[in-house]
Amino acid sequence: MYIARASGLHQLHPLTKVLLTFCLLIAGLALPGNWTSYLIILLVIFPLSVWGKVFPNLLRITWLVSLPFAISVILIQSLFWGTGTPLFEFWIFAPKLEGARYAVISLGKIILVMSDFLLFSLTTRPDALMIALKQAGMPSSIAYIIVTTLQIVPSFQRKGATILDAQRSRGLETEGNLFVRAKALVPIVLPLVLGSLMEVEERAIAIEARAFNSRQTETSLIEIPDTQLQKNFRTVILIVMFLLIIFGILWRL
Amino acid sequence: MAFINIQNLTYQYPTAKAPVLQNINLQINEGEFVAVIGANGAGKSTLCYALAGFVPHFFKGEFSGVVEVNGIQSSQAALAEWVLNVGLAFQNPFNQISGAKYTVFEEIAFGLENIGVEREQMKSRIEAAMKLTGIAELADRSPYSLSGGQQQRVALTSILVMQPKLLVLDEPTSQMDPIGTREIFAVIRDLSNSGMTVVMAEHKMEWIANFADRVIALKDGQILLEGKPNEVLTSDVLAENGFGISRYTSTAREAQKRNLWKKDSLPVTLEEAVEGFRRK
Repeated sequence: MYIARASGLHQLHPLTKVLLTFCLLIAGLALPGNWTSYLIILLVIFPLSVWGKVFPNLLRITWLVSLPFAISVILIQSLFWGTGTPLFEFWIFAPKLEGARYAVISLGKIILVMSDFLLFSLTTRPDALMIALKQAGMPSSIAYIIVTTLQIVPSFQRKGATILDAQRSRGLETEGNLFVRAKALVPIVLPLVLGSLMEVEERAIAIEARAFNSRQTETSLIEIPDTQLQKNFRTVILIVMFLLIIFGILWRL
Repeated sequence: MAFINIQNLTYQYPTAKAPVLQNINLQINEGEFVAVIGANGAGKSTLCYALAGFVPHFFKGEFSGVVEVNGIQSSQAALAEWVLNVGLAFQNPFNQISGAKYTVFEEIAFGLENIGVEREQMKSRIEAAMKLTGIAELADRSPYSLSGGQQQRVALTSILVMQPKLLVLDEPTSQMDPIGTREIFAVIRDLSNSGMTVVMAEHKMEWIANFADRVIALKDGQILLEGKPNEVLTSDVLAENGFGISRYTSTAREAQKRNLWKKDSLPVTLEEAVEGFRRK
């Protein structure tokens, strides 16, 4: 996911970005107001992504991923909304305006979570994150799991494409109507999942062979620059997060 | 006392019905380069895992006998300590990429970071190891963007950089072209000459004959033959037991039947075959 760019956001310490990511998330979920999530996306996440020079990438991926969500949520909410103003009537369907509005509001939260984490993973090197987490006292095995999970998406895509090609060359039909495509899913997803499970064992051997469980104090090849300013900033974020949570609870009482 | 000492090693995987290694006895001296040959399922990989400590520590199962390296028994040592002296690289290079690193250079650093090598020393060791295996120009590439052969070189380099006393390799050149294979065998030969002990499971008879000190032929989990490459690889026993023999050996064997091959011993490599056929 990571895209290498020379930007101020890229150079921030990974922990600063971790805290910022969670702070924005909590802000979007804790603060009152129907359109808060959209405001955070427009006023904080988008400007940050422009600073990090990844705005087009962020926009494109968020759009691609949220579109199917958006369509299904809006359809279902508007069609199954009890009473309200019908947008139009057609046969047995009468989508309600209130339902659609509710759907758009809830979508804001989904898009916020997505774009927030996306911004983080587009601008943070996974290995730098791993080192930063370990330096902050996290056990190396948990840091490793977090980081490799972040990397799993591109690796799955690559494997998926290989399996797709292999199955196609054996005559699997992957194009056509919805039914044909759905049927093609099983012989593609099954080897992908099973293959990944089998890989785990070899991966475990490989990292063990490279002294992953060694009791020595670990060092790191790359240096992760940190500043006093960022340390102070992280303290501020932590306090803000704490206040947001308190506020979110009180406001809901 | 031999550097590696295996006595009465019998091992069965937890889910298997029969032992995959049966009563293996083997002594290997320091600095020796030993090749292990055998069909799929003969126990080559398991023998590699046993030397590298993963049998029995990682795979569990029924283990009996002794595997001793440098005077320490594997069953007495913790795996985390064992791997500091014994390096393992295996066949599938893709699964040997840590998945936590961004460039080849950093990927190779993974092991050194784990054992706490200082940054400057780490850099010089990685550079030296990459130069040795011929991947210096791949330093800034993503390990996932490489070809299978290149990934195998990265996997090998990642282990070499940790400077193990014993290097265990399970078909480390399976995805390389002949030129690449030759280069890697030459590198391993040099390492062995400078004192590193090498045990390698491999199919490529010609390269074994050119570079290894000794060959061990495994069949059904037992040692069938053991000796100098030229003796083992041209042996009738090997041919009778369905081992793939080099095309030069089989050509000369046919020639021998027709009285066209005058030498007593059969060739394994191209050079030996040419030399033998020239002799009238």
